[in-house]
Amino acid sequence: MTQPNVTLRGPEVPNTPGSLDPVFTVEDLSVFYGDYEAVRNVDMMIGRREITAMIGPSGCGKSTVLRCFNRMNDLIPGAHIKGKILYHEEDLYGDHVDPIEVRRRIGMVFQKPNPFPKSIYDNVAYGPRVNGMKKNMDTVVEEALNKAALWDEVKDKLKQNALSLSGGQQQRLCIARAIAVKPEVILMDEPCSALDPIATTKIEDLMQELRQEYTILIVTHNMQQAARVSDRTAFFTADVDSAGVRHGRLVEFDQTTRIFTKPSDKRTEDYITGRFG
Amino acid sequence: MAAGHNRATAPGPNRSLARSRPRYGEAAIKVLLLAAALVSIATTLGIVAALLEPTIEFFSEVSFGEFFGSTSWGPLFSPPAFGVWPIIVATLEITLIAVIVAIPLGLAAAIYLSEYATTRVRKIFKPVLEVLAGIPTVVFGFFAFSFVTPLLQDILPFTLDPRNALSAGLLVGVMIIPIVASLSEDAMSAVPRSLREGSFALGASKMTTSVSVVLPAAFSGIVAAIILAISRAAGETMIVAIAAGFKSIFTFNPGSEMATMAAFIASAGSGDAPVGSIAYKTIFAVGSLLFIMTFAMNWFSARMVKKYREVYE
Ligand SMILES: Nc1ncnc2c1ncn2[C@@H]1O[C@H](COP(=O)(O)OP(=O)(O)OP(=O)(O)O)[C@@H](O)[C@H]1O
Ligand SMILES: [Mg+2]
Repeated sequence: MTQPNVTLRGPEVPNTPGSLDPVFTVEDLSVFYGDYEAVRNVDMMIGRREITAMIGPSGCGKSTVLRCFNRMNDLIPGAHIKGKILYHEEDLYGDHVDPIEVRRRIGMVFQKPNPFPKSIYDNVAYGPRVNGMKKNMDTVVEEALNKAALWDEVKDKLKQNALSLSGGQQQRLCIARAIAVKPEVILMDEPCSALDPIATTKIEDLMQELRQEYTILIVTHNMQQAARVSDRTAFFTADVDSAGVRHGRLVEFDQTTRIFTKPSDKRTEDYITGRFG
Repeated sequence: MAAGHNRATAPGPNRSLARSRPRYGEAAIKVLLLAAALVSIATTLGIVAALLEPTIEFFSEVSFGEFFGSTSWGPLFSPPAFGVWPIIVATLEITLIAVIVAIPLGLAAAIYLSEYATTRVRKIFKPVLEVLAGIPTVVFGFFAFSFVTPLLQDILPFTLDPRNALSAGLLVGVMIIPIVASLSEDAMSAVPRSLREGSFALGASKMTTSVSVVLPAAFSGIVAAIILAISRAAGETMIVAIAAGFKSIFTFNPGSEMATMAAFIASAGSGDAPVGSIAYKTIFAVGSLLFIMTFAMNWFSARMVKKYREVYE
């Protein structure tokens, strides 16, 4: 396994969109909750085996956009989108697409650790079982826990209830649970916001490891975290239209090094230097 | 008033932390609530005490061996027979039929209401369900006797007595569906949304999520609902009296007439058993037995819930 080198990575990634190997291409995406247009006109690309961070003030629609990538918003009555999200050239919201199949390829880790009230083993095995996998479950579980850097801590208590783990362990268990399904992409919505700095560091290190194999999207409120872990950063904000309604929108999307050293938009600069939001 | 106002707004260390005026209302409420709690405890203890004495007297006249060792029941006949098994079997059999009806239907209704129904449907359905729980059981009894039994006699390949355990059990089952459904739905609705989202995010369908995540997470509440329903079924009197009759026959045949323990108590209690007679004491002995059976079941299931929890929480 290669050693991730954080400081070198930024310049290595060329900035031209052509060199980005897109897993997702977002074209003029607007997201609605009923009549309310929560986010408007987002255009961005998610590069394969990159970490893309989404930052911006509260309520600007980061979670809303993130939840479009695995069609999680389908579960909210009245939620719908306009525009397009292409997943490897396939329209993610096409008529033939089964949201369940989408969620098997695109995993998700939530803000608050949400392990099932089952054993550690059953938590990890849940996804594979749901997907009809029966053989070699022990290997699958061990592999996923290993990848989530949790195996050594739990290998002697796999039958114990997952809720007996610490918050940081629970979050890594949730990552293991997502990995066990062997997704291509992992979506993370503020995965460290409920954790202490040490647990946060562990998850960040883990993300660097996972980056070798997976495409990761992370929403974070922690500017340093975005700067530390991500290859590209999308900065969102919310505008108030003439009728006084707030709509989220994407202000700037670029390499993380650029966003944090010479952002091209004044609002991005104000936000990352702490003068706004 | 003015002084109080001044003191409340006075800043700094001069303001006393002592209670500014006694809260009599609080104390009165506390006493009232305690009294309310005591009433139910006292009633339970009173019932136990009232049952105990005649029961002890009963067993000084009828031996344990005869009570639990023979299968012929007829305390009001001459010569009387005190083998209690026929009415125990009838009680268990009708309760079993009721549970077989009520658990699947009640849980299915609960899953539908909590996981599938839109808010609007749920708002209509739940009150309807609760109205069903309010129907007097005598109505269920007559419905079983005058409608369900004739219907079953037409369609079933075996003979059914005009009064029989089957239709009584079915209607007792229908009677307890709302208890199972409503309480289970409460337990399932209390399961946090984040657990469901976690399951959906792994590519689980709605059905898998309901059965594999929501049901186990709501397990203890659901068990409590089922236990309450079983206790109600075992003690149900009106439906079984009308639809299953009063004849104590030792049989497992659901098509046969049979008297449950509750039905016996109702019939003997409403008859003219003179106070102090052996028939009178039998009523209390059977009452004690029913009480113990229900209590044991509650205790057993409380332990089961606890054991299951140790694994899953
Ligand atoms: N289920 C919903 N129904 C209706 N409106 C919603 C729903 N979820 C979010 N919104 C609205 O959409 C907008 C964007 O919310 P979203 O949760 O995506 O913001 P966010 O950027 O993730 O904020 P935060 O940083 O606080 O998590 C907000 O105005 C919010 O009120
Ligand atoms: Mg959010």
